[in-house]
Amino acid sequence: MPHDHPDHATAADLHRHLQSHMPSDPALRVKALESLVVERGLVARETLDAWIELYSEKVGPMRGARVVARSWLDEGFRARLFANAAEVVEEMGFHGHGTGHLQAVANTADTHNLIVCTLCSCYPFGLLGMSPIWYRSTAYRARAVCEPRAVLAEFGVTLGPDVAVRVWDSTAELRYLVVPERPPGTEGFSEDQLAALVTRNAMIGTDRDLKVA
Amino acid sequence: MDGPHDLGGKEGFGPIDVEAPGFRHDWERRQWALSKTIDIPGVMIDNWRATMETMPPAAYLALPYFAKWNFNDLVQLIARGVFTADEAVAGHVERPAPAAPPRDLDAMLARLRTTCRSFARPATSPARFAVGDTVRTLRHPVPGHTRLPAYARSRSGTVIAHHGAHIFADKGAEGAEVPEHLYTVSFTAPELWGSGDPRDTVTLDLWEPYLAAP
Repeated sequence: MPHDHPDHATAADLHRHLQSHMPSDPALRVKALESLVVERGLVARETLDAWIELYSEKVGPMRGARVVARSWLDEGFRARLFANAAEVVEEMGFHGHGTGHLQAVANTADTHNLIVCTLCSCYPFGLLGMSPIWYRSTAYRARAVCEPRAVLAEFGVTLGPDVAVRVWDSTAELRYLVVPERPPGTEGFSEDQLAALVTRNAMIGTDRDLKVA
Repeated sequence: MDGPHDLGGKEGFGPIDVEAPGFRHDWERRQWALSKTIDIPGVMIDNWRATMETMPPAAYLALPYFAKWNFNDLVQLIARGVFTADEAVAGHVERPAPAAPPRDLDAMLARLRTTCRSFARPATSPARFAVGDTVRTLRHPVPGHTRLPAYARSRSGTVIAHHGAHIFADKGAEGAEVPEHLYTVSFTAPELWGSGDPRDTVTLDLWEPYLAAP
């Protein structure tokens, strides 16, 4: 059924067909897709180069780190971030894939937040850049919801006995940003200095106590 | 769909490769760029996810992430008539079209901003639940796409947020834009797993058709 939303059976048949007829090397399959869409006039190769450059130069965890650092310095900003993170991120020009319904969740002395997408690999790409491979691995997706403390231990995070874990499974179009606690010993730090302390993993929840260099 | 993608709580997976970077190979970067710069006519994210879930289970679990994206983009483009399965296997189209104009970095930054979309829609019925309510998820024997994971079915939780109505994924997979109320529901670990720290919770964003009064 061309030009329509493929139904279950059509898609399943196509998957089976392609898997038995396409080259076994994924690099060759990606090359084939690129040739097909370039020849069809859907995209230029230079455009693909520009997208890759965008995500290596301009979009990445530094965007989220800026948001977190500002939330530590400006109480009004912090209040707006927790009320409407999508709007705040758009004001900063950091909007993109996955930020339209962004929710900020705060770590506290007795709460630790951890983000996962068990059904696919939803991630606020526009704010944090490409997700790390572990985030989209079958192991993380399977285990984060049922044994978060064991998962955290593998990342070197051990929670005290009085800390509750709140796991957020991104099952709809809401995306989550963990706002870690400001580390002690950072009084008088500038926004730039604070942003440099914020790790990508802390904004997903697989890091907790940020280190001051 | 009770497919291999529904991984929450599944056992037998090993330790997590905590040092893994975002990309290991150039073809992964290339596929990421392809998926995000091609406008597949008429595609909706829910339908894209639904076709991904029809991948043979053994392949779904074995293939690297961007290899799955690659197969799924091919499936979507063939199903929508952009090229044929024979052309995909050949790696070339029979009759090329005029080349697309190249876009630069600034154009890509502008494009990224346009990808920030709202899935909220005006509600067509009053909300059945409110913050603080106890709700029970359905057993939900769904033949098609759903965003209610198997581990959270027939479980009791507490509504902690109501987001108005959003496009309902189960219908979006069929190409229909049906607004349904969306709630964030918090479940305790013992309720989900039969064991675990009672202070620990897992929180899911669930549409009203997944929920019943307790």
